[in-house]
Formats: sequence, C-alpha cells, structure tokens
Amino acid sequence: MASVTLNKVQKDYGSLNVLQAVDLEIADGEFVVLVGPSGCGKSTLLRMIAGLEEVSAGEIRIGERVVNDVAPKDRDIAMVFQSYALYPHMNVASNMGFSLTLRKAEKNAIDTRVNGAASRLGLDKLLARLPRQLSGGQRQRVAMGRAIVRDPKVFLFDEPLSNLDAKLRVHMRTEIKALHQQLKTTSVYVTHDQVEAMTMADRIVVMHDGVVQQVGAPLDLYDRPANAFVAGFIGSPGMNFLPATIRRTDADVAAILADGQRLPMLASLPVADGDEVSIGLRPEHMRVAADGDISVQVEVVEPLGLSTQFYAKLAGQQVCVFAMGRVSVKPGDMVRLSASAADLHVFDPKSGQRVG
Amino acid sequence: MPGLEPWLYLGPALILLVTVLLVPLIVGISYSFRKFSAFKSEYVGLGQYQAMFSDALLGQALYNTLWWTVGSLFFQFFLGLGLALLLDRPFFGRKVVQAVVFLPWAVPSFLSGLTWAWLFNPIVGPLPHWLHALGLQAEPTSILSDPATAMWGPIIANVWFGVPFFAITLLAALKSIPSELHEAAAIDGASPWQRFSKVTLPFLAPTIAITVMLRTIWIATFADLIFVMTAGGPAGATNTVATYIYVSAFKSLDKGYASAVAVLLLLLLILYAVVLIGIRRSLARNS
Repeated sequence: MASVTLNKVQKDYGSLNVLQAVDLEIADGEFVVLVGPSGCGKSTLLRMIAGLEEVSAGEIRIGERVVNDVAPKDRDIAMVFQSYALYPHMNVASNMGFSLTLRKAEKNAIDTRVNGAASRLGLDKLLARLPRQLSGGQRQRVAMGRAIVRDPKVFLFDEPLSNLDAKLRVHMRTEIKALHQQLKTTSVYVTHDQVEAMTMADRIVVMHDGVVQQVGAPLDLYDRPANAFVAGFIGSPGMNFLPATIRRTDADVAAILADGQRLPMLASLPVADGDEVSIGLRPEHMRVAADGDISVQVEVVEPLGLSTQFYAKLAGQQVCVFAMGRVSVKPGDMVRLSASAADLHVFDPKSGQRVG
Repeated sequence: MPGLEPWLYLGPALILLVTVLLVPLIVGISYSFRKFSAFKSEYVGLGQYQAMFSDALLGQALYNTLWWTVGSLFFQFFLGLGLALLLDRPFFGRKVVQAVVFLPWAVPSFLSGLTWAWLFNPIVGPLPHWLHALGLQAEPTSILSDPATAMWGPIIANVWFGVPFFAITLLAALKSIPSELHEAAAIDGASPWQRFSKVTLPFLAPTIAITVMLRTIWIATFADLIFVMTAGGPAGATNTVATYIYVSAFKSLDKGYASAVAVLLLLLLILYAVVLIGIRRSLARNS
C-alpha cells in the first residue's frame, strides 16, 4: 500500500489544456473519488496515475517514488475499467491470474490467490467460464477480482459501475466499499455520479473543466461548498440558486429576492448593503410553515412515499422543495416556506465563489 | 395444405440456388464421366479418372499448385499482417498510405500479370538488371524463362496482388480490438510481444482462420496471373492444376478430362477446408 501524491500535474493535448496544475495528496489506505461532469478531466487524471497518459508537466508519486516515466506495469497498480476489459478468449481464472502468469509466479501460488479472490467475490463456481458467458454484474466482479489478485499498492477505478443497471449499481457500490474496508488498499475512483461519490468516498475531489474545484470529506462538501459549481453538483435534488440583493441595517441582514420577498441572513456574513449575490438554498432546507418568510406557488408535486418533493415558483424562478414524509400540497396552492438563516449559502454571482 | 406452404416461401430462393449453384456443379461433374471429341461425346465411366493416375503432367501440376499456393499464401499473409499492424498505428499521412497500399487489389489481374511479366523482361524491365547488380543472377535474364526460377515470377506478382486483401481484413479486425484490452494488458505487466501474442493474436485468430482458408482456395484455383505471365511454361514449370484444367478444356479440347481434374481439385480443397476448420475448432476449445 502507498500514498499517491500529485504535484502541479498538468495535461495538454497540443495547445489544448485539459488539466490545470492539479495538487492532491492521497493518504495510504484512503478511498478518494474524483467526480465531475463528463469532459472535466477526471478520467484523464486517473489514466495519468495509471501511466496510460503522459504527464505534460508536474510530478506524480506513488509512495516515495516519482512515477512520471515509469511504465504502467511497473507502478504496482491495478485498474478496473468501465468496459471491464476482460480478455474474451480467457476463462475467469486465467483472466484473474493473467498478471501473475506474466510475472512468472508459481502455478500453485497463482491458484491460491485466484481462488482466494474468487471466493471473496463469490466467483468460485464461475472460474471455468468465458467472459461472454457471464452477466454484466459477474463480469464486473471478475474485473474487480483481476485487480485484487495482484494485491497492488493502489486500486484505480474508472467508472466501474456505469454499465450496470441501477439496482446492481447500488449493490456493487456497497460491495466495493466493504471490500475497501477489508483490504484497506489506497483507491482512486472516478465517477460522474455524485451519489456514488458521496456514499463511497473518504474524500471527494470535485472537478470541472480541468480544474479541481474542491477537495474534502463528503459532508464537508455538502455543508460548505467552495463555489456554486460544487454546491450545484453535490446533493440530489440539486441546490436552488436565487439572485438577490443584500439589505443590511443595524438591526439585521436579509436577502431581497427579485420579487421583493425577504430571506433573513446571518449578520456575521461579510456582505454589505446593496451587494448583488446568488443565494443557494438546498431543497431539504426549506420547510412548509404557516409563518414562513416567503410564499411560493406550487406547480408540480412528486410524492415518493418516504418523502415528497415539489416544484414551486419563487421570484419568477422554479425552485425544488424536499420534505420527509407526506406533504398535503396541490399544484396551484400558495404555500409559505421558511428557511433557517444558517442554511443559506451565499455566492458571488460573477465568480461563483462562496461568500463567508 | 400446411405441409406445402413453407416450401412456397422458400421456393424462389431454392430455385435460384439450385439453378445457379447446383445445376452447373452437377453438369460439370457429369462431364467428368464422358469423353468429348469434335462432334460427339460418349459415356466412359471412370475412364477419365483412371487416366489421371498415369498422367505425369498432372502430378507435376499438383506439385506446382502446392508450391504456388503455399509460397503465395505465406508471403501474402505475413506481409499483410505486418502491413496491418503498421497501419494500425497513428502516423502522419496514414490515410494516404492506406489508400496506396490497397491499390494493387483494385488492379485487374491481367494487367498486373502483364506489368510484372514486363518488369521481369530484361529488354524493357529493370528487375533482371537489379538482380544482376546484386549478384543474384550471372547475367540479366528473365527469371520466367528458367524452369528452376519461373514459379517465383507469378508468386511475386501474386504476393503484390494479394497483400492488400490480408492487410484490409486484418486491419479491420485489429480496429475492432477495444483499446482498454491493450491498456489492461499493459497494466497487468505484458510486454509488447506478450500483448501481441496474448491479446492481439487470439483476437485475430477467427479472422486469420477464415481469410487463410478463403485465400488458399482462391490462390489454388487462380490461373490468370500464371496464364498471362508464363502460360504454364517453361516446360510445365509453372503449370498448376488450374492452368492445366484451362489448357485441357480449351486448348486440348478435352472437356471430360478437364472436368475430372476440376473435381479432383474440388475434393482436395474441401478436404483442406475440413481439416482447417477442425484445427480451428480444437484450438478454440483449448484456449
């Protein structure tokens, strides 16, 4: 096992810069998830750690060793691909043992390792099968098995669950997390699914347009997003953003929405009277309350049993409201909502950076 | 009549297959039991087949066919594979090179035969002079006129003509290999040679089996190049079964005998195909 250190790592394709000076410390045994929309550079970064892409500038270390110019096979890593990349002409056992075979390990040792990994993943009865005779979930497991047989320093996962159906994805998510808790191997996991990131990660790296937006524990990102992008990306349903003007008096501070409604704010926020801001308000932080500060008109109601979410018009904009249990609202209703001042996120509307 | 209805649907296809494939085949085979002379033909039973056993020319033609087929196929395949592997890598001007490489396939075989015959001709062609300059020939003569070397002429022309076929089909198969497989192999620790032998080759195996089989059959029955370049000569040195059939049927006008030889070639090729398919099956089972 080993730590992974990225020091000002950069990637250019010709004059096109796809990754800007990424700095990241991944501790030994940590499970780090790189998350972001497609094209944000997360897969490129992972492939650079794997040695499948050249590093344009900066330095990648695995443990103490700089690996910029080390071949993938000598980095002591294992990678799980989105397409699984199983060798179609080899059976499950050969697929899993291929790396050991290439390293000229003893047959007995290979069998022991393969059988161990197979029983851990419930693949015992499938060892003689070819990949084409397996279901998607089983193939995914074989790909995992191939990685753990190696007992590498670092696991790299490139959207390993994207090709599975929703139910299996949730199941495998839990399995991968349980596996990591057993093996405690340093893992870097790429996904575009923020739920996967939130549920699996020790720390999340949110990326956008080749720039790391924020690095932190899942709930830290949720509670204190560094900018409007992270705020909108983390959390489902997504955060509502409302343009507002600050009204600060000696008595209190409030955000005045486009239609004149007031949202009380914390006085400690570094905002001045007349500032234009963007208010971020999570759907679950708005409550239906008879004495609420703002009134909205309900447009669509989505009852989910466990919870209810509804969409309503506020200051000419659609906002989402999420409530546990059942809420007796109907489309067309005028409802009053309250939000705690502490739950308000304030962003600079131009730069998108968090204020306060 | 439910028993008849399916046959009505199948009818048009069956009639087409029978008239286009089966009838000519049966007629051809039936000729091999007859003897043709100027204005009549008579049934001779297995007489034409018996005649083959004592035909020294046929023996040589069979040997020449083996030599011609194996020689052409060997170089076509390995050069084609090499070319496909080169063209699978990105380099500047790849599209143009690809187009040029595939050009020989588009040249009519008669034209390439003539061109190559001229290239080997010491009066108009440069090749004999080059061979002489390299010390491979004592004096610049056409290799086509020497029975010991004549077969190399059509084989070289055939290699030039057939390499694109293997290059195209193998390149298409190479392109269908997902890049992740090579990446996974690279991470698993495979050297470039191991990536080729353990990932690329198994992936290409089905394509190789089918193209080699097809190509063998085509080369064995391919008479154009030889006929244009040497007409089977000198002294029968380049006479293959295919040219022998042509000469028997249209020069000696012995259609019955030509048909009997054609049936022999057909049986040999069927045997070859069966053996090759058997090998491929057992390979697929073992891996």
